[in-house]
Amino acid sequence: MNALGMLLSAFVIAILGLMFFIWSNGRSLLTGGEEAASEIFSAGEVGLVEDPAGTPASRTRLQSSSTGHAQVGQHVDEADILARIESDKSTSLIVLIMMTAAVFWLLLASTFGLISSIKLHQPDWLTGSMWLGFGVTRTIHLNAVAYGWAPMACLSSCIWILPRLLKTPLRSGRWAILGGAIWNISLLAGLIAIATGYNSGLEWLEIPLPIATGMVVGGAMVGIPLLDTLGHRRTRHLYVSVWYMSAALFWFPVLLIVAKMPVHVGIEQATANWWFGHNVLGLFYTPLSLATIYYLLPKIIGRPIENYNLSLLGFWTLAFFYGQVGGHHLEGSPAPAWLITLSIVQSMMMIIPVAAFTINQHMTMRGHFRMWVHSPTLRFILIGGMMYTLSSLQGSFEALRSINTVTHFTHFTVAHAHLGLYGFVTMVMFGAFYFILPRVRGWEWPYPWAIQLHFWLVVLGFGLYFTALTIGGVLQGLAMLDASKPFIDSVTVTRPWLIGRSIGGGMMTLGHVVFAVHVLAMVFKLGPKRHTQALFWRDAMPPGLAPNLATQPEGAAS
Amino acid sequence: MSQQDSDTVQQRRENPDPNEQVKPLPFAIMLVIAALFTFGVVYIAETPLNLPGTWGDQRVLADMAAPVKSATADGAALFAANCVACHQATGLGVPGAFPPLAGSEYLNGKPDVTIQILLHGIKGSITVKGSTFNGEMPNFGARFSDAEIAAVATHVRSQWGNKGVAIDAAAVAKGRDLTKAQTTPWNGGQDLEKYR
Repeated sequence: MNALGMLLSAFVIAILGLMFFIWSNGRSLLTGGEEAASEIFSAGEVGLVEDPAGTPASRTRLQSSSTGHAQVGQHVDEADILARIESDKSTSLIVLIMMTAAVFWLLLASTFGLISSIKLHQPDWLTGSMWLGFGVTRTIHLNAVAYGWAPMACLSSCIWILPRLLKTPLRSGRWAILGGAIWNISLLAGLIAIATGYNSGLEWLEIPLPIATGMVVGGAMVGIPLLDTLGHRRTRHLYVSVWYMSAALFWFPVLLIVAKMPVHVGIEQATANWWFGHNVLGLFYTPLSLATIYYLLPKIIGRPIENYNLSLLGFWTLAFFYGQVGGHHLEGSPAPAWLITLSIVQSMMMIIPVAAFTINQHMTMRGHFRMWVHSPTLRFILIGGMMYTLSSLQGSFEALRSINTVTHFTHFTVAHAHLGLYGFVTMVMFGAFYFILPRVRGWEWPYPWAIQLHFWLVVLGFGLYFTALTIGGVLQGLAMLDASKPFIDSVTVTRPWLIGRSIGGGMMTLGHVVFAVHVLAMVFKLGPKRHTQALFWRDAMPPGLAPNLATQPEGAAS
Repeated sequence: MSQQDSDTVQQRRENPDPNEQVKPLPFAIMLVIAALFTFGVVYIAETPLNLPGTWGDQRVLADMAAPVKSATADGAALFAANCVACHQATGLGVPGAFPPLAGSEYLNGKPDVTIQILLHGIKGSITVKGSTFNGEMPNFGARFSDAEIAAVATHVRSQWGNKGVAIDAAAVAKGRDLTKAQTTPWNGGQDLEKYR
């Protein structure tokens, strides 16, 4: 059989098999999932709305949508609250350590990102020492984000949410603290190695093998308590966030170990390199961030997730398609045509999980979009969710040969990567920090205006960053395709757009400084002691919300 | 409430932990799946996949070059594919590294010298428009047919204000025959003097 016949039949059989599998899951042919999914609706839980933008009408809808749900605020199931408090106590130390580490890496990464960005239009700036060369600063930026900020933030959110969903305290949490320490020390060593010119020469995998081993060990140790907790869960049904989190914890070590194995040479090496580079986004940061949205969004607005079957479809198609899309980074390379073609097709198939998530999020939010005016967490995670949809759709079409011809090897790709890792992952993580840290410290955010400032700096800054770089990238790609223009034209045409990117990046970095100072105030319980949650525009809240704001526990004032 | 409650006020005011409603998949998502599945099948079927399995790291540049048809040689295309990297689309070359073609005395003079440079290349010092260059130009005698050399020579002799007369394939064939004993590149400008 020829390559075409084999690829086509493999594709058709695989998709049909996948759809049958998802269908059978939804119909509970393999498990008792459906019935378990509805029985989780616990009777009469605590009723104080966390982000009090819900209207009485929405609460009525909530009640009518779940049988057996008592009048909100009437009956408090103390056992569930105690389980939640117990879970939070067991995770607070490790979450605090990891979040502080995450913020440190965020600041370091932003600084080096900004330096690299400025160097692209001021090439004679900071050229004195080797470790300040563009090749080093950009690599440090990438690694500090990829192995510092993003995983520390995502893992801390994961460690905090999982025990809550499993209704049990975190078990053997010391492993996670030790693992986190090993991870961070390895990363620091890796960045020093990169700064001194010792790296593996493969993008996303620059940290040398011996040091990367430390990260694999550290990562595995962070996984131990989560697996242990999963094994001792007190719930039958696993909520959608649990699927994404446990799968990501399994995928990441597999990815890193396989990609770091020193057995790949030549075109295989490039293939393994981009298989990893794309999957670390799609099978690690993405599922952990989606899991965070799936937990926080319904939590804040007080509605159940719209459709269990959409969650199933989204999870399994992401799991199936994502592992095969990395090859689209190799278009135009000597990699076999069937491999690249399969990658392009599966990149387009990624529209399925994205559409499933988007519809699920939109239908869950329907009628509650006003809440985003008031809730910091909701603002960040909603923007993050929307950017997930945008960046994924953009990525799918960017994989097509016709578009890739223009955008490959240009700043367009860089803009796209930031739409995913910043617009989506980082925004969601900001939201998670604003929700989780008050529960970790038992302390409200002292300065709500700082959250506003942070929000507008990073949102406007990123808007400018993305727009400038996207336009610059397209112009650069078109100039490179035009044989009548000398190559240098494709460089000079990007200059104003690169300056725009630096301004946007500067605003983002400034926003991160505001955020970091605020987190520091949280860690040390500095600033005014506030007794209500940090929300925006209280004056403008609908009258129906007033009772909730008045219902502050008296103990808080003592 | 007690003091203990005040430490956990954040947990106490929360909504219940989230859960999911069970509903059938929306019709729209079914359409999306069907459309993408169809796209996948069509895209795979339309893409040429049966390329030689030996393609991998063994390919050299020549394997990927478009087949050149000698009968209808296109001077501009040949120039864009083979010369532009050094001499630039502007014909100005790169100062200090690659000589300019625009206004070059070697292109505005007798046809022979242009033909000989293209046939055998140059290695050594050459002075163009008052500047001396010490580089290397590849030879095209083996890779290009007579018609192709004629086409690219005519192209460079008529661009950027150059006023050299056109060259035909017969003139190239004559030049090729004349210097068939030459196996090395011309040694800079001095070797070329006799053809000027």
